[in-house]
Formats: sequence, structure tokens, C-alpha cells
Amino acid sequence: MHPGPSWLASRPRFTRLGMPLFWLILCAVILFPCVCFLILAVSPRLFDQGSQWFTLTYLHQALTGATAVALVNSLWVSCAAALLGLLLGFPVAWLAARTTMPGRRFVSGGMWLSLLLPSWLPALGWERLVQQQGVMYRIGLDWPWVTHLIMGPFGVVLLLGLRCVPFSYLAVSAALGGLGQEFEDAARVHGASRAQALRLIVPILAPAIWSALAIGFAESISDFGVAATLAYNSNFPLATYQLYAAIGNFPPSFPLAAGMSWLLVLAVAIPLGLQARALRGRSYQILSGRTRQAVRRRLSRVEAMLAGSGVALFFLVMLGIPGFGAVSGSLLGDYGSSFSLTLVNYQALFQQSGLLGPLERSFVYAVITASVTVTLGFIAARLLSRRRTAATGALDFLLLASVALPGVVFGAGYIFAYNLPIMSRLHIDLYQTVQLLVIAYIASSLPTNARVLVGAVSQLQPSLGDAARAHGAGAVRAWARGVLPVVSRPITLAWLYTFCGVFLELPLSQLLYAPGSPPASIAIEDNLSNYHFGVGMAQSVLAVLIAFAAVAIVLGGYRVLAPAGWRRIGGTVRG
Amino acid sequence: MAEPITVTDLTKTYPGSTVPALASVSLSVAPGTFLVLLGPSGSGKTTLLRCLAGIERIDSGLISIGGRTVATDRAHVPPEQRDLSMVFQDYALWPHMTALDNVAFALRRRRVGRAECRAGALSMLGRVGLAEFAGRYPNELSGGQQQRVALARALIADTGLILCDEPLSNLDADLRERMRVEISSLVREVGATTVYITHDQAEAFALADKVGVLEEGRLVQFGSPEDIYFHPATPFVARFTGLAGELLVKVVGHADDGQVEVAASGCSLPRLRAAGGPGSPAVSLEAGDDAVLAIRPTGVHVAGSATEERHLSGRVADSAFRGRGYELAIDLPGHGRLTGVFARHRTVRGEEVALRLEPDGCHLFPERMRVR
Repeated sequence: MHPGPSWLASRPRFTRLGMPLFWLILCAVILFPCVCFLILAVSPRLFDQGSQWFTLTYLHQALTGATAVALVNSLWVSCAAALLGLLLGFPVAWLAARTTMPGRRFVSGGMWLSLLLPSWLPALGWERLVQQQGVMYRIGLDWPWVTHLIMGPFGVVLLLGLRCVPFSYLAVSAALGGLGQEFEDAARVHGASRAQALRLIVPILAPAIWSALAIGFAESISDFGVAATLAYNSNFPLATYQLYAAIGNFPPSFPLAAGMSWLLVLAVAIPLGLQARALRGRSYQILSGRTRQAVRRRLSRVEAMLAGSGVALFFLVMLGIPGFGAVSGSLLGDYGSSFSLTLVNYQALFQQSGLLGPLERSFVYAVITASVTVTLGFIAARLLSRRRTAATGALDFLLLASVALPGVVFGAGYIFAYNLPIMSRLHIDLYQTVQLLVIAYIASSLPTNARVLVGAVSQLQPSLGDAARAHGAGAVRAWARGVLPVVSRPITLAWLYTFCGVFLELPLSQLLYAPGSPPASIAIEDNLSNYHFGVGMAQSVLAVLIAFAAVAIVLGGYRVLAPAGWRRIGGTVRG
Repeated sequence: MAEPITVTDLTKTYPGSTVPALASVSLSVAPGTFLVLLGPSGSGKTTLLRCLAGIERIDSGLISIGGRTVATDRAHVPPEQRDLSMVFQDYALWPHMTALDNVAFALRRRRVGRAECRAGALSMLGRVGLAEFAGRYPNELSGGQQQRVALARALIADTGLILCDEPLSNLDADLRERMRVEISSLVREVGATTVYITHDQAEAFALADKVGVLEEGRLVQFGSPEDIYFHPATPFVARFTGLAGELLVKVVGHADDGQVEVAASGCSLPRLRAAGGPGSPAVSLEAGDDAVLAIRPTGVHVAGSATEERHLSGRVADSAFRGRGYELAIDLPGHGRLTGVFARHRTVRGEEVALRLEPDGCHLFPERMRVR
């Protein structure tokens, strides 16, 4: 009898060491900083931050005074924003998926576009537009009531709500895609009018609706971009900024920040728990091989005009107005009351030293982070899609819990954990270094990345790689020829999503950037807070252009360079 | 009360398609009839059913239900105003509602009180044997139970017309047969007119009072199951309702009794009648015409005794035991293969056998009708 091939006989050393090494990385970059920081809230003595081994003082402190006000603000604002996101996202998704509304093909692109923008960018655009001495005043619109409206709770809810719309849209669109025509037909033939049929089938979308609300709430309560810009400048404190202030103010109070982190994490868990409870024991399985494709409702001319202009208005408010605010702000001088456009801010960007550097720096950080994260994310997705074991179960829980962890908590955990004396004793001196910032970027992007990739990787048949290896390819070649082509598209999209997220990332950058090496978001913030509005806005506009150019180049490059067979897999369904 | 249905010159083309899904379909169904629309995929049977339901609009023609015109090229009565009910292929049970709520929904159009509605739904679930499952959600029911809930929903509203869109196609063979009997008895019990679509000829013949056979959007035959089986109007209908095989033959002449004399190489064929009869127009065959001889499985068997007339001979390609006897596949030299040929006794593969044709199970069509 011939012995089997060598690759069947023994697992290579890197495979045997891979899993422990992967877990070690996860523990170092996710588990250790976050767990240490959260434990700190109840046991400050453990980390030499106080005298008590166990105390609830800091949790109690977080529930009193200014932090309590900020927390209450965050809770109601997040509820309102999630609701607003659903109220806007649901009809837009319905109109785009189920009617002949003009321009429906562009809706999805617009939603993705707004997802790629960090929340602080539109907030700055709005701010620059409506603040005193802002664009609106300089073009002669002296409307203080608009300033008061936007620079306050209403503006915060509006911006966070608009931020939730793409999530609602994507959740509802996906559900509508699987909701065949037969449920509506069944209602109609059994006596329901069109409106009654609609009322009947909307509850079938309950999972999508709950999911939209939960994501909207979680995104809003953990948002730092709006909290640190519009809300802060409007004297409307939100919990994430208050947490940042607890560390950033002198003297810093890490235990209080940790106490606030507990409350933030709990707040994120509430809607997820409610969602699970609402859907428990029910099945909303509506897809089958025989699901009849839904028919688009043909809108009358008036209906089409109303629907089209409504959606156009929505995009105008979501992207157009802040975009106009940012672009026009970048074309105005910093002071004065006239509306004379100038390119002086852009000239300054290219002539004054230190203005382009942050953008270059962020670009490099984003490329490194996206590449490393996608690699680690793929490994994690691969492990998650395998047979369920205790280790994969733990990995699943760790990544899922990390998705729900607000970025600012992550950052605070990093500051605290990598500043511990034990780190110095172990010669791990990463605090206030670029390396720590990039590691934090990677760690915070990894959970989402792994979850995005797990869908594609789960669909991989093990036989793809096995077939390549059985026909003589080595492990790497088998993967490159048999597996990579199938997942190349989701990997490319995950890379781009991470790149855009990191390129203009704010909370981690704010907490962890190395002195003297500010990334783009910090440099922009600095310029704006030092009244260099024009240059700050020009930096913002240039940063967005760079991000979009990167998306265009990568997607265009994929289209041109990837073999035709790669592009066919996972492409849009035709017909 | 059972409703009569009249469909006149109905034509429907889907947007973006140049081929009509239905082309000039006309039929008339008496109240209380169980009509089965039979045809392969893409023949237009689902479209016809959906036009009857009002889910699809028609391009031209007319549909009248219970004497009321419900669809023309200009007028369209919406589904909820047609007073009908329907069993869907995938049952279309609303997943967020219990079995009881699903069934009760169909009673709302009768504007009965909530308590009465629930009592009625519970009673109907009892009739289909699911009273104890009333509180379950669709995903907690088996395929057969879901099917019965869908049937109960269709029956409860006591409409004059029930439409069934291949309701048995998702069930396994055993359950399918049991559910067929249940559907047949329950809808006849309520006395409604029923339009049922399927691509399974055995199911169609077992259920129907009348069968309409559709081919490429045209109604090619309409009649009783016996008419369709014994007098198929076209080779397509014969083929779709079950053939052992087809032979290309030449018409030699006509006998005095009107029967046709045909010949084929290597065969000694009996005199046969040209196709046609009740429910289908007679076809004309002249001497010298090429013709197709469509043979039902009941129209051919292995010649048992030496005295029995022998019309064909061939070699056994396959033999399958079917309990009451054997079903053979037989290769006829120069004429292809016959399948489903009945033999009382066992034969082995490769054995030469003689076959006898039964004129009642043989249908002769002009060759030009063969491909439509």
C-alpha cells in the first residue's frame, strides 16, 4: 500500500502553531486592553488606581452629575436617531425595491457613499454652514433660528438619524429582496385591499425592522464623530465625549471612564437583547426556491414625481447640504462677512509645511491596517465557518462583543492597558507610538471585518481547496488558485471598507495618536478648533476626494486586472 | 354558491417579452366543476390562474366569474373584490401569524366578529385535522400540515371559486396522494368551483371533472379526463398525458369502416382510427400521408400465446418489476424505443419479444401535427 501524500500525513508546523498564535494576537489586541479597562471600574486597586479591591463607586459616579446628563442625552438621542433612520430608510428602501420610482438605481450607491463617510465630516459641513460667520451668513442668509436648531439636540438627532438611514435601508432592502410576491397576493385574494395587504406583510419584515433599530441605536450611542463636533460645540454633552473628557481632562480619571464604558456597553446590549426577545421562537423564513419575484408597482406620473423628489430631497439633506457646507467653507477665507470664493486654502495645503503630512500619514496607516485586518479577518472568518467547537464559539463571542464595543471605549482601554507599569517591565513600550495607534485600528476593525467575510467564507466548499491539492497543487497554490478567486470580491470590498473607515477615523486617533504625528482627522479638528476653518475644510474635502479616488482605483483595478472568471463569481445577478 | 367561469379570447404578454404567455384562450366552466389546467412549465397555466385571481392584468379578452365581468382590456376588478380564495404553491402562510390567525384572516371579508371568526377558523382547522395545532406558527408545522392550513384558509371564506396553484408539488409522494384525496373531498364538500393547476397528468386525471391542456399559451384541448386520455387532440396532448412511444408510419389507404390502413417497415400493423372524437376535432389522413402513431402504455402488450396477433417485434432493453407484472423498455429496430410496455411474465434483457397493439390505445395523427 502506498503512503498518502505528505500533506495528508502531517500538518505543517505553521498550521499547528497558527491557532495559538492567532489567539495570542486576539488576546493582546482585543481581550487584554478591553477586559483590563472594564475590570478597572470595579477593582481599581488591581491596577494601582485606587484603594478598593471591589467598589461600585465609579459606576455610581457615572450615574450622577454631568456624566448622567450626558448618558441620558445619549440614550434619548440614540432612540430618536434610530427611529428617524428607520422612518426615512424604510420608505426609501420600499420605493427603490418595489416601485418604478425614477432614479431608484442610484439609491444604493448613495447609501454606500454615505456609509463610507465618517460621521464627523457631515457634522463639520453642517456646522460650517450654519454657525455664526459661517457660509449661510456670508451668503446673506441671516437666520439665527436655523443656527439654534442645528446647533442643538435637533441637529444632533438629525445628523445621527441620517447616519442610521443607510443601515435601515440596507437591512430593509435585504429583507424586501427575499419577500416574494405571494404573501401580498395571498392577502389580496383573501379579501385584503392594497393598504391592508401592506399592513399585513410589514410585520414579516420584523427582523429587518428590529435589526435596523438595534444597529441604529448602537451606532448612535457609540458615535464619537458627532459627539466631539456638533454636539460638543452646541454644549449638548453626549456620553462618548464625556468618557473622552474623563481621560483627557486633568487629572484624568480612568476608573470613572471605565464606569462609563460599562454603561455604554450595557446601553448597546439593550436593543440587541430586545431584538432577540422580540424575535425569539419565531421563524421569518420566507425564501424558498419557488419564491415568486415581487412585482414593482408602476407609479403614476404624479406619484413618481413625488417619490423621486422626496428621495432626492433626502439625499440633498444627507449629502448635499453638508457637502456644500464643506466645499464652500473650503473656498472662503477664515474671517470677514463677504462671500468671495478663493483657492487660497488649497494653495496653503500644498505650500505650507505640515498640512498634507497628516493626510499622507493617514493614507499609509489605512493601507497597512486594511491589509493586515483583511488577512486576520479572513483567518477568523475561516475559523468561524468551520465546525463549531469551544474555541470557535469563544472566538465568535469575542468578535461579536467587540463589534458592539464603542470605539472610544476601545481607545480608552488601549491607553490604560498599554500604560500599565507591567508593560514597561515587559519592555512593551507602545504608549504614545504610531505602532499602538495602528494596532488599535487593526483591533477595532477586525471584528467587523471578520463578520463581513464570514458570509463569503462560509459558502466556500472545502472541496475547492482539496480538489486543487489532490490534483497536485501545494497548499499556497491550492489556496491562490482554488479559493482566492471565489472570495476575491468580498475581500476587496472588505479592504476598501476598512481603508475608508481608518483613513478618516476619529475616536481612536483622538485618544492614541503619537505626539507630533497627527493623523488626518486630528489635524482637521485642530485647524477648525484654532479657527483655521478654510484650511480645515480644504483638508476635509481633499481627504474625501482621496478616499473616493482610492475606492475608484481599487474597484477599477479589480475590474481591469482581475481575471474574467474572478469577476463573474459573486457578481450582480443578471436579469 | 359555486360560480361559473367564462374566459373569452384571453391574451396576456408579460412586459419585456415578445411571446404571449396566453394566446386567445377561451373556456367555459359550469358551477361546481373541478377544472384542472394541465401543461408543462411555461405553458401558461399559472398565468391563467393568476389572471383569474386578478393578480395579473389581462391584455385583451374577457373573464367573467359568476356572471360578473371581472377583467377586460380596460376594466380590472382587484383580487379582493372577486370573492375567491386560493391555495398557493408555497402555501404563502404569513410567518408572523399562527395557523388560527392565518385561517381566520380569510373570514374577515365576511365582516364577522372576532370571536366568531376564531370559532369558525378553529372549526375549519378541525375539519382538516389540525385543531390542536391552531396556536402554532407555520414554521412549527410540517409541510403537509402547512398545506392543510393553506387549504383551510381557502375553504373557510365559503367563496364560490377556489384556485389551487400546484399545491401538492412540494410534498413527498405518499403525502401527496393523501392530500390529493383530502383536497378532492373537501372542495367538493363545500361545492365550490375549483380551478387547479398541475403538470402531473396522473394528479390531473385523478382530481378533475374537466381538464384543460395548455401548450405554449394556447388551450389545446378541453374535456373530461376520459376524453383527453382516449381522444387526445394533438400528439402533444397524447405525449403529455402518457405514451409508451411513437412510430412514424405511412398511410396506405382506408377500409370501408373508415379505419385507416398504415404500414411501417418491419411491422404488421392493425387497422386504426384516425385521432379525434369527443372533445377533439377529427383529423384527416389520405393515402400516401406520413403519420405518427402515438401508443399509450395501455395500447401495447407482450403477445402471450402463439395464436395472439403480433404487430411489432423488438428486443427487451430493460425490465422493471411493478408488482402486478413487469414494465418493459423495448427497442424496435428502426423505430426507436417503447417504454412502460406491460408484460405479465418475467423477461430478461436482450430477449426478443413480439408485441400486440390495442387500437383503442393507439392514436394516429398526420405527421405535420407532430411538432407544434
